[in-house]
Amino acid sequence: MADRTRDRGASDERDARQRLQPRLILAAMGPGMVAALAGADAGGVATYSNAGALFGFHQLWTVPVMCFLLIVAQETAARMGCVTGKGLASLIREQFGVRLSALAMLALLVSNTTVTLSEFAGIASALALFDVPPIVSVPVAALAIWLLTMSGSYRRIEKVLLAIACVFVTYIVAGVMVGPDWGQALINTVVPHVTPTPQYLSLLVASVGTAIAPWMLFLAQSNVVEKNAHADDLPYQRVDTVTGAVAASVISWFIILTTGAVLHPAGISVNGAEDAAAALAPLVGDYAEALFGAGLTGASFLAACVLPGITSSAVCEAFGWERGADRSWAEAPIYRGIITAVIAVSAVVVVIPNVNLFGIMMIAQVINGVLLPVLLVFMVLIASDRHVMGRYANSRLWNALTWFTIVAVTVLTVIMFVMQAMGMG
Amino acid sequence: MIYLSQLLGNPVLDADGEKVGTVSDLGIATGEVFPRITSLAFMGPGRTPIMVSWRKFVDTYDEHEVHLKVVSTDLRFSFLQPDEVLLARDILNKQIVDTHGMRVVRVNDLKLSDTSSTQLRLLGAEVGARGLLRSLHPALERVALRLARTFGHPLPERIIAWSYMDLVERDLSNVKLSVSHKTLDDMHPADIADIIERLDPRLRGQVFAQLDDEQRAGAMAEFDDDAMAAELMGNMNETDASRMLSEMDPDDAAELVSELDYDKAEKLLRLMGVQEQRAIRQLLGYRENTAGRIMTSEVATIDEGATVADAVALLRGLDEDFEAVRYVYLTDGDGRLSGVVTLNALIVAEGATRLSELATQDLVTASPEDDQEDVAEDIAKYDLLAMPVVNDEGRLLGIVTVDDALDVLEEEHAEDLRVAGGAADGEDSGHASALIWLVRRNAWVALWAIGVLALAFVVGGSLGLGETLVAAIPLAVALVLADDAVSYVTNFFIEHDPDDEDSPSMIGFTFRGLGLGVALGALVALIVLALESVIASPAVPASLDGLGPVLTTGGAAAAASTFFSFSSSPLYLAVLRSRDERNKETSGFTLSMVAMLLAAVVYLVAVVALAAPMGLVG
Repeated sequence: MADRTRDRGASDERDARQRLQPRLILAAMGPGMVAALAGADAGGVATYSNAGALFGFHQLWTVPVMCFLLIVAQETAARMGCVTGKGLASLIREQFGVRLSALAMLALLVSNTTVTLSEFAGIASALALFDVPPIVSVPVAALAIWLLTMSGSYRRIEKVLLAIACVFVTYIVAGVMVGPDWGQALINTVVPHVTPTPQYLSLLVASVGTAIAPWMLFLAQSNVVEKNAHADDLPYQRVDTVTGAVAASVISWFIILTTGAVLHPAGISVNGAEDAAAALAPLVGDYAEALFGAGLTGASFLAACVLPGITSSAVCEAFGWERGADRSWAEAPIYRGIITAVIAVSAVVVVIPNVNLFGIMMIAQVINGVLLPVLLVFMVLIASDRHVMGRYANSRLWNALTWFTIVAVTVLTVIMFVMQAMGMG
Repeated sequence: MIYLSQLLGNPVLDADGEKVGTVSDLGIATGEVFPRITSLAFMGPGRTPIMVSWRKFVDTYDEHEVHLKVVSTDLRFSFLQPDEVLLARDILNKQIVDTHGMRVVRVNDLKLSDTSSTQLRLLGAEVGARGLLRSLHPALERVALRLARTFGHPLPERIIAWSYMDLVERDLSNVKLSVSHKTLDDMHPADIADIIERLDPRLRGQVFAQLDDEQRAGAMAEFDDDAMAAELMGNMNETDASRMLSEMDPDDAAELVSELDYDKAEKLLRLMGVQEQRAIRQLLGYRENTAGRIMTSEVATIDEGATVADAVALLRGLDEDFEAVRYVYLTDGDGRLSGVVTLNALIVAEGATRLSELATQDLVTASPEDDQEDVAEDIAKYDLLAMPVVNDEGRLLGIVTVDDALDVLEEEHAEDLRVAGGAADGEDSGHASALIWLVRRNAWVALWAIGVLALAFVVGGSLGLGETLVAAIPLAVALVLADDAVSYVTNFFIEHDPDDEDSPSMIGFTFRGLGLGVALGALVALIVLALESVIASPAVPASLDGLGPVLTTGGAAAAASTFFSFSSSPLYLAVLRSRDERNKETSGFTLSMVAMLLAAVVYLVAVVALAAPMGLVG
């Protein structure tokens, strides 16, 4: 609290604006990191492990590109929050009316439900490493997540989950330990390498969907709105955005590197959590599965706690229904109903017998990637509207980059579907 | 009836039937209960926005098209007047406050008066599901209506009339509103505070800025969330903030100022008037949660020699925003409190009567250092409307009024509930679902499972699965008893105040804890012994034979653990009291979790220690 008032006071004085104050930077950091580490969730690990296992280092070049595009998207969302003080759903409704916001919310609902689904698949497959069958682990996890989201008390255990999710930092150590061909890895990071197969393309769409998930945009903007950050606070928010994006990208780079160096030469394709965990074997040996399982459970659980709340909050914001964890069933039936439905649907799909859990995670990321352009179009149109954003409207460069993402993902998706339809898979 | 959603996007045709554009907005004059549509905005060729007067140029209109009276070349453009509001731009899709139902809602559509009447008027904003469906597609609304009727649940429209709308996002202070327009300003401060708490943080500041000083001061005192109040305060400019503080009752203002950081508080106080500043500083000088902190210094006092007429004259001369007067206090020559006269007595007495004749002399007073809870309880006990606070010399410092006392009691009650570990835990207060309650009540099951795992880990090598489980049975009893030990402590804590003379001393409590520990520990041991002899008896099949020593070991360990739980109860009490002293809130649930964990650890240690002598290992 004290930070905020002093913050305002400091930015009122012009001289204080010239240099960022380190203490305030630290204070602003956090939401970006949460988004980044929650991004290393079930879907992320599945996608990157697959990318490494199937194509070795060949998809490493996507990481810096994704990192940059993620920064563009997240910065836009945070800036919109700072300038307007409103959530993304609110802005879409006010700028585009009922019909288009219904479309946007439908896209968000589908995309977030599939991501939640993939988180449950992540929890199920991670706990399967400890020999807990999905029929036991999923209902227990679903009930726990439902209780935590409903009572709004997940923030209390947020730090614990974040700490567990930090297990994925071991990929960095593991990557160094396996002693990959660093020269080759660096060249592949800089030089794009495209294999024209449906598998490669769908992995590419999936990595976009994982790296720039729609829910991250909503999360980033609502964090800023909740803090009531103003345009003066933008520099700090930018620091947060960039550090979060870079941290997320470093982790994903090392996941691809490690799996590419360990699994690809051995010809192991990732069909389950135990295959993905095998990439950590050179570092921790027998403990690889336990470590991987713990990390995957933590990250997936964190994301699964965050997602239903964000989704329901955005939908209710757009349509003007009561929302918030402190509202009872009688006050906010739709808010609580959506959360319950999202969790229930996800949990039920995952406990279907013999369902391919890793397959679910991958498909969810592809769906995410396909729906991303829909929401990005809304975002870029609002962000470049001078009536809304004033002098903080999108620059030409930012517009061009966002439109590039939209067009690129759309084209990739179309090619992917066409190739699959022609039976080239 | 026609709706804005049905008009927007319709073609505008001139007298020749030539299309001149599409409808983009309607302007209303805000000065009426059902405002007239005054202007038509449409998108002309080449996306040029055009606005014309509705009365002068619109001939007919319906759900499909708008016909103008003249040809396009005769149109005279007009501009938005200061008292006009555009429906689509300013109201549709926006958040508004329904000042009648006192909620924050989003406008889904706007209902206009019948097309047959000559004048088109705004009837109100549609905020329900029907408006949403209609905007998606009119057919959807019809289907939903038919379905609703089939199932016997009619789908009513939810219309908010213009006179009950407050457009929070648009500052309407410079728009001339109708006399009957009920805005936020007309609502009770407690309701304003409720609504503001439901808005986004940015809007909170904007809405708050639109209120006048008096309303702000009132709403500020009513916020449940002190941090939010302080944030709103932080966003105001300093002159406004200090003016608002002066407007508030000194006790509320002091509470708010104590939430701010030191520099800011100092700055604001220095900007205030000398008198108000002194009042607040004086209150801030007392510790938190004392009578001094919650008292108000606005008291009606008069010399004990005065007459009823003097007292009435004094009351008539008081400021408008003076704290409500319930009693007139009398002071003697040295300024000491000597008596109190109720308002009733003043009203019925003759003007010439001396106040000292009407006064009650045996006063119940408080000292500024008294605990606020005690003062509140005394106010309830003696049926007072206010209690005078006097210093050691008997001089009157201020009064604690009954409304503040009620707040205190509510606060303390919530705190007690939390300590008791029942429900009410911070943000989810009141809404904690039955399931959460159940989970909390039965946390020992989870801890027991963890205990079994830990036991298996510790002695796993030497015992089989069945034996481990049997050894863990008494652990369940120990955990439940540990939970009970904490309830015992919290109950004691809530019932007995350490400052009361007649409350049992700490030493007494310690001995009671020890006694209970010995008694319950012995009970657990005895029950286990009895069970063991049953197992050992010839009536039981021989296959259970090996379990005897295991059960004994577990039982002995559980007995030790139970003894530990109860004998450590003075420690928990000390923790509770010291945290209460420092005004920190303690959750009973956390406390019992800690106690149960400790009990499990003691049990494990005891099992390991007893394993060798009891002949389990080797």
